[in-house]
Amino acid sequence: MADVSPAKVSSLHAIDAEAQVAPPPARPAAWRAIAAPMLRPLERIPAGVRTRLAGVLLLAAALAFPVIHSNGGDVDAATNALCFAALALGLNIVVGFAGLLDLGYAAFFAIGAYTYGILASGQLHPLWSAAWQPLQWLGLVSRFHIEGVPDIVQFQFSFWYMLPGAAIVAAFFGLLFGAPTLRLKGDYLAIVTLGFGEIVPIVVRNEQKLTNGAMGLNGVLAPTAFGYNFGVNATPFYYVAIAMIVLLMFVSYRLKASRVGRAWMAIREDEVAAGAMGVNRTRLKLLAFATGAGFGGMTGTLYIAKLQTATPDMFQFPVSVMILVMIVLGGMGSVPGVVVGALLLQLLQSWFLQDLTQWLHALGRLTGIVSLQQVELAQTIELIFGIILVTMMLFRRQGLIPASRTTAPLSMEEQAAAPTRGGIGVSLSRLARAKVPEDAPLLETRGLTKRFGGITAVRSVDFVVPPHSIVGLIGPNGSGKTTFFNLVTGLDAPDSGRILFGGKDVTGLPAHAVVERGIARTFQSLRLFPDMTVLENVLVGMHAWTRANAVGAVLRPASVRTEERESVEWAMEVLRIFGNRLSPRVNHLASSLSYANRRRLEIARAIAARPSLLLLDEPTAGMNPAETLELADQIRSLKDMGLTVLLIEHKLNVVNTISDKVAVLDYGEKIAEGTAEEVHRNEDVIRAYLGRTSAARV
Amino acid sequence: MTHYDVLVQQVINGLSLGAMYSLLALGFTMVYGIIELINFSHFNIFMVGSFIAAIALHAVGVSGQERALYGLPLIATLAFAFAAAMLFCGALGVVIERVGLRPMRHVRGTAAMITTIGISYILFNVVLLRTGASTMNYPNPVPVLGWPIGGATLRLREVLLWSVALILMAVLQFFVRRTKIGKAMRATAQDSEAARMMGIDVDRVVMLTFFIGSALAGAAGLIFGLYYNFTSFLIGYTAGLRAFTAAVLGGIGNIVGAMIGGLVIGLIESVGGQILAVRWTDVIIFSILILVLVFRPTGLLGISTPSKS
Amino acid sequence: MSSAPTSDGRPLREFKDVDTYYGELHVLKRVNYEIGAGEIVCLLGGNASGKSTTMKTVLGLVRPARGTVVYRGEQISRLSTAERVRRGIAPVPEARRLFPRMTVFENLEMGAFTRTDTAGIAEDLDRVYSLFPRVKERRTQLAGTLSGGEQQMVAIGRALMARPQLLCMDEPSMGLSPAFVEQVFDIIQTINRQGTSIFVVEQNANMALSIAHRGYVLQTGQVVLSGTAKSLRENEMIRQAYLGEIKTA
Repeated sequence: MADVSPAKVSSLHAIDAEAQVAPPPARPAAWRAIAAPMLRPLERIPAGVRTRLAGVLLLAAALAFPVIHSNGGDVDAATNALCFAALALGLNIVVGFAGLLDLGYAAFFAIGAYTYGILASGQLHPLWSAAWQPLQWLGLVSRFHIEGVPDIVQFQFSFWYMLPGAAIVAAFFGLLFGAPTLRLKGDYLAIVTLGFGEIVPIVVRNEQKLTNGAMGLNGVLAPTAFGYNFGVNATPFYYVAIAMIVLLMFVSYRLKASRVGRAWMAIREDEVAAGAMGVNRTRLKLLAFATGAGFGGMTGTLYIAKLQTATPDMFQFPVSVMILVMIVLGGMGSVPGVVVGALLLQLLQSWFLQDLTQWLHALGRLTGIVSLQQVELAQTIELIFGIILVTMMLFRRQGLIPASRTTAPLSMEEQAAAPTRGGIGVSLSRLARAKVPEDAPLLETRGLTKRFGGITAVRSVDFVVPPHSIVGLIGPNGSGKTTFFNLVTGLDAPDSGRILFGGKDVTGLPAHAVVERGIARTFQSLRLFPDMTVLENVLVGMHAWTRANAVGAVLRPASVRTEERESVEWAMEVLRIFGNRLSPRVNHLASSLSYANRRRLEIARAIAARPSLLLLDEPTAGMNPAETLELADQIRSLKDMGLTVLLIEHKLNVVNTISDKVAVLDYGEKIAEGTAEEVHRNEDVIRAYLGRTSAARV
Repeated sequence: MTHYDVLVQQVINGLSLGAMYSLLALGFTMVYGIIELINFSHFNIFMVGSFIAAIALHAVGVSGQERALYGLPLIATLAFAFAAAMLFCGALGVVIERVGLRPMRHVRGTAAMITTIGISYILFNVVLLRTGASTMNYPNPVPVLGWPIGGATLRLREVLLWSVALILMAVLQFFVRRTKIGKAMRATAQDSEAARMMGIDVDRVVMLTFFIGSALAGAAGLIFGLYYNFTSFLIGYTAGLRAFTAAVLGGIGNIVGAMIGGLVIGLIESVGGQILAVRWTDVIIFSILILVLVFRPTGLLGISTPSKS
Repeated sequence: MSSAPTSDGRPLREFKDVDTYYGELHVLKRVNYEIGAGEIVCLLGGNASGKSTTMKTVLGLVRPARGTVVYRGEQISRLSTAERVRRGIAPVPEARRLFPRMTVFENLEMGAFTRTDTAGIAEDLDRVYSLFPRVKERRTQLAGTLSGGEQQMVAIGRALMARPQLLCMDEPSMGLSPAFVEQVFDIIQTINRQGTSIFVVEQNANMALSIAHRGYVLQTGQVVLSGTAKSLRENEMIRQAYLGEIKTA
């Protein structure tokens, strides 16, 4: 194929396709033109320092606020706003990071609130018995004596214990509500969470003994610190809220830039591909639900401690929607975005609309227009929520402060990527994790069968892949090749038959477990994580052998820092396989890559998993002859480095030149197997795959 | 009344509620069938419908429940109110689709659904601001007549509501089974790209689907008013969720399933509410919703949902 | 039929410098095709070479960013699919794409959706039934319950119901048994002899070139080769890449 108009090929691809498809430049906003000269001195400070500086300044301003502005009502409103910012941060973990639309998030707010409320009020007052003694020693309950009646227990759990305590209780309910939704796709999941969001307030209303029903809990204890009772003074609550926001933002940032956060985003971007990269979807989705719920539970405790009362109406659907509006406004997945979104909406509600109402009333009195004097804008807040939701969705889906980053354009040198021959120029030091036995087959299937409805996609396939070889799998479109891959990688479960990998049975294992055993794959239909960078895509590929969990991600002990550094080093090493094509683009979004580079990135992502067996599904589809030959050489290099490759390919020259063995599928059945030459001489193959070979009848 | 009579009475009531839920569920199921969208604005299109019908009834001189009409004037008045509610809601649905949802058609993920929540909020609050928070006494020209069945009563109101629902559903069935544009609608639901290749104007079909679904919600809104003798800006949410449950129960995307699912939910509400306490009705219904979605997402009838190849 | 009837001056269908994008992906790059009246033209290429995008551009499911699509001298790049079907362009989509829960008869009806001439439709229905007696037998069955081969017949029949002048077929051989593939290609030739031009996208190059008059080879969105079927069959590159002839055969 290389001899087809070589001049044309080289002229077009001397510069990779991105150069021709540069994304349209962002329209410069007018204010930016005016502000630019003023901001220029700031630009000399490095971006990272600038962000940190801004953060410190904001925090200082926030801390000084109650001192400067001593209006108790405004401090109270600000505290409420901070509570909603905390809720927005929690929902952002579930919706923004993991992409699981939760319409009943207020339920966790309620659970946290009532957990503290019940344990720090007189709602429950069981009779005293010796069993309560240990709790009394801990100071969580006291013995209450009234003349003439038996002694009762007075609950007085400390607010400070209950901040984490209620978070844990809410997280538990997060797991409980999350578990049934795991298999549901987007909109069904939303409905089920909405159902839970409805059920919780109804249960609260109906379980009168526990919650005092619609009347609500009363006399919830206010926190005390160093002997000072917070009482109804908003200022100490304000500082607790500030501390909580700082903590939750810190946790969110740390989680987002970690193995856990990347796995969440991978699930959000493409669940199936995430599983195929080794992400345990069940565990990570539950973790997202539990973490988000925990944030809600903690906030509920603070909110109720401040109000000192709780009623079921405080936690209904409109609250869930309001929190959703906040993260939609700020930008789903963006930590500063959702905080800003929450603060904006709350301040709009409690300050701006009231002020505006007063102005309108004044204007009405001045002009004598009666209707202006009667306007109550605070009542329109939900209308404004609705308008914000619709407007943002129609015109600015990414939110005010988007989570995605923009990247600098590449220099000409970085774009220059001439097709090369001769395979991979770099050595991959840590390619395979497991030693592969030389004598036994690496992969073996016995009688593998898969039916979809009435169609048998794979029929009784016996197949062997010897170690350190390249095996080509060919066959017409629709002959069951990709289904075969899906069975081997655990994306589909076979109806019968067995799959042995390194002599061990891996039949029916979930996809992430298959990757952990050492099988990684690419997809014919290209399943990258489009809204993640090239580097992040490759890092997700390492999920199966990296270890950092949520706690490690937040605390970042030395082991996690080392793992993260080594992961990035390994990712860069893997990306260098493709020379200049991907390495300069590590911070570009996968969605901005050219077709051929997307294919390469899929391969890099799979190699990053350090598999013993690499399954490539049409890796050269969409590539021109020069790129195809380049990739074929690179695949051969991978074999030389110790990898075993199973390859679906339509370009027979590729199959013929690099495969040690070729198998042919037709109608889901293996109709031939052998060297390329043997296969091409096989009568069945000629008939099935190559079509009518008789002379044309034109 | 004996227990048996109470049961009969609750079944009668349940069938009336069921007729309303069926009509409302049809809108969910048709829209989902055609563009795989859970349309939250449907909740409040229904609510708007009940107010529009009330306005129409007021316009022809009906107010409160005192002045009953008989014979042809009754039929004509009701027909006018249904037509007004259905046309207005149908047009409202078309506007919502055209302005809010069509630009969203090819956006992946849940953006379109979030938009419908926003639209629902807008409708809700516009009505709230215009009518105030108190409930509205519903103009009802149907005379309080009834036939005893044992200790229970079958009222004229029930018979009328059932007939309206039956007629609308029969017309809908005829439309989607027999007419060319109805068939085009089914074709679009089954494979919209293939439908486009046949020369079917998919945008128009989607618009028509919103029109029909929303018009049926408008009819359901009037039924709500005639059944309960009140309406309020609040009615959309609870009734909407119950109707959605009905659509899920029948297998979302399935028109006949939505009709049957609606009846089942209506019966559960009235009979179940009688057996257990009324305050647990919603817990029962949401539990059904969750259980069906989790364990049998194709619906209890076992008819498969539209699969896009 | 010894030579391609392309010499009537004007091509039936023309692509001039067509560029197409999916998001930021440049799928077709300055592509030019011509289909003459009465011709069978095949478009060859691997997966992801831009074949399906070409088909979608012909049908108006994808709009070209640049360039023009001309049909019978008329610029149709901006016309809707419905307008194109009305002008006589009908598709047999990849993987058939029947309406699975409608009957075979209803599927055929949908093929004639843009037409209003009841008598003509009845005529064409008879023609489809006589071309495919099997389809007539199954007319009350749900399309989703048919076998793959029967579905392909219905898909072709459905396209014929539009009384097309240009039939666009996307991978008609996909997922069919070898014997049936031959049958389908025989039918394509029959339809062509009855006066319909055919544009066929195929992976099965051998089969496609055996019935086509001319062909184009598409690679990464560019036409890299074109010519008569005979010249393509003899081209070394085609022989290697698509006809599977290496050193053997």
